Amino acid sequence: MARRKENDRAQQNNDDSDSNPNDELEDEPNFDDPEGYEDDISEEDLIGDLIRQRPKETDGVESIVVIDGVPQVGTERIEKLQNVLRKLFQKFGKITNEYYPLNADGSTKGHVFIEYSNANEALEVLKGTNGYKFDKNHTFTVNLLTDFEKYNDILDKWENPIPQPFKEQGCLQYYLLDQDACDQFSVVYEQGDKVAVYLNTQPEPSLLEERPRWTETLVRWSPLGTYLATFHAKGIALWGGEKFQQIVRFSHPGVQFIDFSPCEKYLVSFSPLADSRATDEPQAIIIWDVLSGLKRRAFNADKSQALPIFKWSHDDKYFARMGIDMLSVYETPSFGLLDKKSIKVQGIRDFAWSPTDNTIAYWVGEEKDTPARVTLLELPSRNEVRVKNLFSVADCKMYWQKSGDYLCVKVDRYAKLRKDKSDIKYSGIYYNLEVFHMREKQIPVDSVEIKETIQAFAWEPVGTKFAVIHGEPPSTSVSFFEVKTGQTPTMVKKYERKPCNQLYWAPSGQFIVLAGLRAMSGTLEFVDTHDFTVMNTGEHFMATDVEWDPTGRYVATAVSWWGHKVDNAYWLWSFQGRILKRVALDKFCQLQWRPRPPSLLPAQQIKDIKKSLKKFSAQFEVKDRLKMTKASKELVEKRRKLMQEYEDLRKQKQEEYDAQRRRRIELRNNVDTDETEGRGGELEEETVEFFIKEETTFIDE
Amino acid sequence: MKPLMLHGHERSITQIKYNRDGDLLFSSAKDNHPCVWYSVNGERLGTYEGHQGVVWAIDVDWETKRFMSGAGDNMLMIWDVQTGKALGKIEAKTSVRTCNFSYSGNMALYSTDSTMGNPSEIFIIDVRTVDSSFSENDPILRIPLTNAPKATSMVWGNLDEVVISGHDNGDLAQWDLRTGKKNNLVSEHAKSINDMQLSKDGALLITASKDCTAKLFNAETLECLKTYKTERPVNSAAISPIMDHVVLGGGQDAMDVTTTSTRVGKFDARFFHLVFEEEFARVKGHFGPINSLAFHPDGKTYASGGEDGYVRLNQFDQSYFDFKFDY
Repeated sequence: MARRKENDRAQQNNDDSDSNPNDELEDEPNFDDPEGYEDDISEEDLIGDLIRQRPKETDGVESIVVIDGVPQVGTERIEKLQNVLRKLFQKFGKITNEYYPLNADGSTKGHVFIEYSNANEALEVLKGTNGYKFDKNHTFTVNLLTDFEKYNDILDKWENPIPQPFKEQGCLQYYLLDQDACDQFSVVYEQGDKVAVYLNTQPEPSLLEERPRWTETLVRWSPLGTYLATFHAKGIALWGGEKFQQIVRFSHPGVQFIDFSPCEKYLVSFSPLADSRATDEPQAIIIWDVLSGLKRRAFNADKSQALPIFKWSHDDKYFARMGIDMLSVYETPSFGLLDKKSIKVQGIRDFAWSPTDNTIAYWVGEEKDTPARVTLLELPSRNEVRVKNLFSVADCKMYWQKSGDYLCVKVDRYAKLRKDKSDIKYSGIYYNLEVFHMREKQIPVDSVEIKETIQAFAWEPVGTKFAVIHGEPPSTSVSFFEVKTGQTPTMVKKYERKPCNQLYWAPSGQFIVLAGLRAMSGTLEFVDTHDFTVMNTGEHFMATDVEWDPTGRYVATAVSWWGHKVDNAYWLWSFQGRILKRVALDKFCQLQWRPRPPSLLPAQQIKDIKKSLKKFSAQFEVKDRLKMTKASKELVEKRRKLMQEYEDLRKQKQEEYDAQRRRRIELRNNVDTDETEGRGGELEEETVEFFIKEETTFIDE
Repeated sequence: MKPLMLHGHERSITQIKYNRDGDLLFSSAKDNHPCVWYSVNGERLGTYEGHQGVVWAIDVDWETKRFMSGAGDNMLMIWDVQTGKALGKIEAKTSVRTCNFSYSGNMALYSTDSTMGNPSEIFIIDVRTVDSSFSENDPILRIPLTNAPKATSMVWGNLDEVVISGHDNGDLAQWDLRTGKKNNLVSEHAKSINDMQLSKDGALLITASKDCTAKLFNAETLECLKTYKTERPVNSAAISPIMDHVVLGGGQDAMDVTTTSTRVGKFDARFFHLVFEEEFARVKGHFGPINSLAFHPDGKTYASGGEDGYVRLNQFDQSYFDFKFDY
């Protein structure tokens, strides 16, 4: 409106000057237009910018909402209705106008138009009151006025979308066809500026691909190794195939965390700073279909939740998220809540899916008189297959064994509890390990008590052992327990005073690396748990990470720039702890092995192969030896060439040196100093006495 | 073999040098007294008293008659080796950073720092007669490095016809003494050149740089032949007179050294094969960065001086001489 006025004023001023010649300043030459002059300048030329800003009739339409489903009332009750509605809708912003269409008899038509001071408020109303239950019979349907226009304009005739031509992506699993079953690994260095993928061939890893600025922060392999995910400000990109071409892109501004579902069907991306207020769709968490690249469902995130917010079942069928006093399980591919409602669990603290079954383990804390308990819940039936009550519980941590045979719950228990206002202080903490035998009838539970602080716990991925680091650093001990059917876990080995803080089992079990990372300056111990021999010890000073390759043949240790700013490097070791390669890279950040999907061979065949390992190993050894000799031959060849070049230079220099002999002697007063040891011919005998030892002896007289 | 530890300095060592015969070892430190030692048993023969500041550089002539030192008190002093008497001195405008006798011992060069508005300068002086009037003689040649990076290390080349200077931006320049002009410039290093040493015959030049590498140059053409890479600044490098080996010393800069562990600093002396650029041995011992390294002229011992104030004389074991690369 203000614009309009300005416009008018401008117009007026024009008029003024036209009609009233300047009376005061008569000396001035007359600039007046001659009588009857009509300018031929259009308004568009003169004040085009102002005209363009002139409000249109449709301006402000976006701040109007239309509410349907309002009760139809007669004239006598209109005022009451208006009061009630005003009260409700004022909450969302300033109402500048409202309109109740009336029938001929003066009764309302059942829909209302409300105009707000701006469009954002209208959006808020939409979010807040669409579907609002006004009373038993009336539910509001709220729309923006602009939406009517938008949906009116839709063509009646449906046009089938043109099918996109099929794009050949090549074999995404090509890396499994490598003759020698070498594994790939990705390396991020120069602070994330460069990403390289190597094939771990022996004796030298070979570079497959290197790209500058491939990612902005880090890279992630998908759980079966098909894709390499890169992070960008605008979203996530997946790469794959032999040439690492781009497979699909997911647009999610500000994405910081991603999580693949175990079968790689879906990708969850999380953008902690995404603002969902601008639109009515949640923005923080988006679940994508990896194959089609389409968005499946979006969620809002609670600020405080631990990552990952969504946990997937092993077969991608379900995913779950914990809320306050509830557990929400969603199913795919509908992405709706399982049975349309969340599971009520009073005081749920944490949950974890079994890695092989659709069973959820969750635990609830103590509350007044009810003890804490761990529950195993089968889905989708929601059967509680096992409940274990626990007393005096401060905290629990659940560890599933990778093959889903066992679940261990580490229970921190207290002897005394002191309540200090809102703070709860525990004292006399001791530890219990509750082991659930998942494959046995009725799931028996055994418990192991450990008096000392537990620093780390790890299941053997395949097998029946678990390892625990306990005690106060630096005098920690490492104990190994074996779990057997119908028996309590028995301690099979205890290493006293073994300073370490992390446990890394080989993916196929049996071998374990006891590592003292970061503060413990990177000590490594390679243990064969079959007979508990320490195969080797090593050290990668200030190591921050240890990564087993997916086959369990190699171990990579790394000093990441993220954790330690100097000497960034990754080292490759054999599983027996023999150092194979040291690679120092500037600002090296991350090394990740490319995962492999589980073997497709039937169990019997694997067994047979294991039996005839001796036969195969002979073949492999021959192959390895060939490779080594070839490599050393190459090296020797290279050295020989370098040496040849150097010898040539030397020879030339020697000739020059010999030629200069006369001058050299001249320069040094005719003394030949070429023979350093002797001073030419005139060697002087010189005796130098050193004081070596003083001895005092008393001589008896 | 157990190294000989020479502990005669109170502060960090700045430079060490053997005389041509190898029977004496000279050392200078940030205290003001350069020392001379018997290299065979590490006994100190004496000190040269007279400087008032950090002694940055030392040299001894081929006859082991005269000893020269340049210091932070803006003095270049020439001494009688045997008596320890100062024969002559020159006062510069700024501190003297490098000094070297020429091959003949008739000339010497020294270079000064750029401070207090004075540019870094290179001087060539006549040292045939050194007496109390020594400071009044004009230099043979004076090269001011105005608006140019300062010289951090110098050597003579090609039988007193050229000098080579290393600069604090990594440049390497060669100056012709007859014309007084720069006749070659190469920029192979990214950071300051801390030390330069020639091979025994003067054909090869090794540079040690703060950019964590040492490089081998053809001393005549300044063509870069080899690069030896480490993870820490290199303060000094030397070429073995008898083997195709080089030794590099350095470590985390003194000001960046953490107090938690000496291992982070990497204060080892590191041996590389001269031709293959491959590291084959390390010698531990110093608990601060190594500032200066020198091979004994017979190649059977080497000395290292560190920020920790120690000079260590290491004698090579038989296994060092037995070790051969396959080629």
